[in-house]
Amino acid sequence: MPSSLFTQFKSEDSIKKKLNLLFRNRIFRRFFIQFVFGIFLLLLFFYIVDKALNLELGFGHLSSRAGFGLSHTFIIDYNSNDSRWMGYFAGVINTIRVSLVGIVLATILGIFMGLARLSPNFLINKISTGYVEFIRNTPLLVQIIFWQLILLQLPHISKALTFGGLSVFSNKGILLPIISSNENGSLWTLILFLGLIISLILRSRLFKYKEEHVDLFSPNLISFFTFVVIAIISFFALSIKLSPSVPEVNINQYGTYIQSGGFILTPQFAAVLFALVLYTGTFITEIVRGSIQSLPKGQTEAAMALGLNSYQRITLIILPQALRSIIPPLTNQYLNLTKNSSLSVAIAYPDLFMVSRTIMNNAGHALPMFVLILITYLTLSLVISLIMNIINLRVTRIGA
Amino acid sequence: MFKFRLIGIISLFSVLFVLAACSEESTSSGSSDASSNTLEVIKDRGTLNCGVNDNLTGFGVVAPDGSFEGFDIDFCKAIAAAILGDSSKVEYTPLTASARFEALGSGEVDVLIRNTTWTASRDRDLGNDFTAPTFYDGQGMMVYADSGYDSIESMSGATVCVLQGTTTELNLDDRFTGSGIPYTPLTFETNDPLQAAFEAKQCEGWTTDKSGLASKRAGFPAASGGPEALVVLAETLSKEPLGPLTRDNDSELYDVVQWVVFGMMQAEESGITSSNVSSMAANPADPGMARLLGVGFEGGEVQDFGFGISPDFMQNVLYQVGNYGEVYDRHLVPLGLTREGSLNAQWTDGGLIYAPPFR
Repeated sequence: MPSSLFTQFKSEDSIKKKLNLLFRNRIFRRFFIQFVFGIFLLLLFFYIVDKALNLELGFGHLSSRAGFGLSHTFIIDYNSNDSRWMGYFAGVINTIRVSLVGIVLATILGIFMGLARLSPNFLINKISTGYVEFIRNTPLLVQIIFWQLILLQLPHISKALTFGGLSVFSNKGILLPIISSNENGSLWTLILFLGLIISLILRSRLFKYKEEHVDLFSPNLISFFTFVVIAIISFFALSIKLSPSVPEVNINQYGTYIQSGGFILTPQFAAVLFALVLYTGTFITEIVRGSIQSLPKGQTEAAMALGLNSYQRITLIILPQALRSIIPPLTNQYLNLTKNSSLSVAIAYPDLFMVSRTIMNNAGHALPMFVLILITYLTLSLVISLIMNIINLRVTRIGA
Repeated sequence: MFKFRLIGIISLFSVLFVLAACSEESTSSGSSDASSNTLEVIKDRGTLNCGVNDNLTGFGVVAPDGSFEGFDIDFCKAIAAAILGDSSKVEYTPLTASARFEALGSGEVDVLIRNTTWTASRDRDLGNDFTAPTFYDGQGMMVYADSGYDSIESMSGATVCVLQGTTTELNLDDRFTGSGIPYTPLTFETNDPLQAAFEAKQCEGWTTDKSGLASKRAGFPAASGGPEALVVLAETLSKEPLGPLTRDNDSELYDVVQWVVFGMMQAEESGITSSNVSSMAANPADPGMARLLGVGFEGGEVQDFGFGISPDFMQNVLYQVGNYGEVYDRHLVPLGLTREGSLNAQWTDGGLIYAPPFR
């Protein structure tokens, strides 16, 4: 505020005149209002904190024995003798699992369907339009239960469909052959994943270095080599043994059919996955379509004039430019998919929300549990947003 | 101009200030330590909010005309008759197993009568108070008759369907994991997808209270084999005493609910039914009966136990709903749950239905 604000007063002015002059000044008014509002916010904040401290937010009950079993446990070996924290963690892993696979599949489906909507081929165009309009306009919960009922129509395991003895289809799940390893398999997969990220980062750094300095090496080769080295070293360090695993169905002494071996796609996981992928795929389809349509038509025409075929045109010219406007709404859809996975409680897929409700029913303390659920979803969403923001920065770089 | 706008803004903030400050002082914390008198609230409101089941034949179902009926529903009606004099003044709130305690704790319902098992953690940890059980049940396992299972041990490796948020889920795990029998639980939130999975034989076993199994078995669709296709294993996995519950620190309502239930049990023991209650009230056979029905014996004084409701509340209850035996016969005998030789017979017949003295 200018000092003239206060020096303009003459000593014989009344208080009322002084205030009048002060408030006539726009800068002073703004400052005053913001100051008052700031004090109000501060008081509100302290009030809320004081109330919050009175609530019992203890998590001690989560350390006691869980007592309930879970139908899906992945990576960690959970049984009912573990603590409730482990049960919750198993639920989180289930959520991450369905969300991650769902995100990947939904993106692929969305890109294909988005391109299909712009196809001059009448049949493909209409199929894509029908898919979007139908799936988008029905509630997700209904779709999840629908898929569960569809998968119930598969034959009973005693009459399961086998395909050449390699896979088994029944209403207890779909079993497929897979390469399996001994106990450190998931750790090795994690290391491979990290190695992939490291080599990709290395590759981009090397490309930048190559631009600015020497043009002697191939960044692709070096980063690929790094990845292979990491994979091989960890393979031997963890003493992994790989072997093919073929699914089989046996009958135990009591007449119960036991499935073993292979990779099992349980009906619950499959139903949630199909519903989420199809539903989110429609939104991604529309996003892709909108982004491509927003590109100037000149790009397509120039590509055709250069003699590029349609595959080259899409992958080299159209999609890279469309990515700029695809990424932000795509982030939204990924977050939606992750949060929508909480609907799986309806069909017995134990995601984190379902496990939390079980714990709440057994132990009470609903408020701390919900705070924990919120924090977990917040963390998952922030991680996804962070990764997408990094990708966004890369594609929106001018001249990228 | 700007002065008025400024004054308007400042006065808005000061009003908000004052509201915030006032509410900080005047709210009693609403924690579970404060006691509340739901009985008075019910009397003021004029209806009883009862949390019930709408999906369990015999205990709580919705009839085709939209009304609720069942064993538990009749106790809701009895409490309404006792407090408000009219058994139809009930607002039924159907609740799932996983949502029922939240609904009671938050005040959405006044009393929960929804085939709920009395356990230590539910009594203390979840902040409820259980009255004496109205039905002594046990957990059972239902399987297909042609599966050949005859015991829990034979179900090694099987998949079992169970409802989420129930003691059944925990007891199932105790029984299987405790004996080292591998199994896979399929935990559903409601009974409809559970029944669909069971009908498709996605799970080999269905576990819940034996009374629930009886009702589900009786209603099993003929297309999937009807009741004859199913058999309930003989073993009882756990004790399941079912009864009404109220919130902690709600003694007035708790006592009313408790003694309405006891009154119905005592009435059966004393031979008072809905058809003879009026003549019994006009001419009670002994002082005990007089005290139960809230009348004086041979012209003597009426004893008021101080429940906060009219002393002749049991007359309304018995006339409009009936005694314990009538309620049981009306709803549970059609399911095949006989009382003779079971825990639900009167104590005089060797069961556990026993009312403390109305004195």
